[in-house]
Amino acid sequence: MANQSGNVYGLTILSPILEDVNAETSHNCAIRMKLASLPRDEHSPFAKVSSTHLARLVVMDDVVYVGMPSCEEHLKSQYLLFETNFDGGLDDYLTRMAHEIGSEVDAVWQHCHGYPGVQDVSAFIAYMKRCQVTTTFYFADVNDKTVGQTLAALQTQAAVARFIDEHQGKSAIELQKSFAEFLQKLKNAPTPVPGRPGSGGPPRIATQMKWGTRN
Amino acid sequence: MTNINHKTYAMNAITPMKWWKTWIVRFFFFILGAIKPLQKDLIQLSFIHFARWVIVKRTGFPRLSEQQPQEELKYDYLIFFSNFNGTWNQYIDAFSAVLSQGLNFIWRWSEKFPGSVPVTPFKQYIARCQFDTDYYYTAYPYATTNDVKAAHRVQAALEDFEKETAGKSPEEFKSAYLKFMITVQCDLGETGKAPIGT
Repeated sequence: MANQSGNVYGLTILSPILEDVNAETSHNCAIRMKLASLPRDEHSPFAKVSSTHLARLVVMDDVVYVGMPSCEEHLKSQYLLFETNFDGGLDDYLTRMAHEIGSEVDAVWQHCHGYPGVQDVSAFIAYMKRCQVTTTFYFADVNDKTVGQTLAALQTQAAVARFIDEHQGKSAIELQKSFAEFLQKLKNAPTPVPGRPGSGGPPRIATQMKWGTRN
Repeated sequence: MTNINHKTYAMNAITPMKWWKTWIVRFFFFILGAIKPLQKDLIQLSFIHFARWVIVKRTGFPRLSEQQPQEELKYDYLIFFSNFNGTWNQYIDAFSAVLSQGLNFIWRWSEKFPGSVPVTPFKQYIARCQFDTDYYYTAYPYATTNDVKAAHRVQAALEDFEKETAGKSPEEFKSAYLKFMITVQCDLGETGKAPIGT
């Protein structure tokens, strides 16, 4: 199925945007203003739907005209384009969107034709599926790891680098003891937070390696 | 710039195709999906987290209500989405240099596609067909694709090392630790802020 690569699902949604010549703010502009106000870090709505690897929202104004001798044509509606890459199945993901970021979803999609809102989750899922466009070819470079596994691995990578840096030249006994403590600390570390700039979630185990500058 | 979230760039491009040509593209993608070795160059580029091509038929734009006007299009459209690390210029240059044949197979059916080599008209074409992203989120903003892959290798090596050294003497542990360091030494690059793009 082209919408999936391994365990990762690639969802593409095209939602037609309402047009109201009497509106004080056009619907496409209202969507853009709302999107511009949404945080893009760990406070992003998509960080709450924690199975999201990467997601984008785009107002597509029109198709392009590439020049003669091709025909010039235009869309009659603008479309809200939602492209997301997540772990697991589509229904679970859309249900999580409705439950966990319903107000943000409503604030954006209320400007689209036929949008039923998230109150009725099954109607919301049915709406999104009507707007779904099947992916023709989907490529995921890492398609067998969840977001949580990736964030944990990034945290581990940083921690291992620091451990190695700090334990050079130690005796075998010291090294074994320190490593056991290190592993325990790593296992007890809180789950990394998606969307947070850094190598993982709190507490970030910052590395202090200075490549090529060590005296 | 909304196309960029720290180390990752969101690219969208749409190109028109005559409807009967889309079947050729679909067939090509079917072959590409079925024969994994054909994706070798795409994997080796190693700066694309996720990419997708979506063909929207001229009658395939969703119509959700009677109030929505019916689209009347002559062309089918190929929409390309990419999530990559680095700058736009680096990406297009690398695409043109490494994947030129593959790109030509995909886009040669689009109207006025000039070919991926030479790169200047290719870039002009992409720039004309590209549209900007309004909102972009990534769960790991400081990590490149290579960082992600390296981190998973370190994680796997650490888990193996832990199992292997359980109950070992300090001397045996140290010996295994040295081997572990050699295994992961190339994968310990630090994540962090993106360099300033050019």
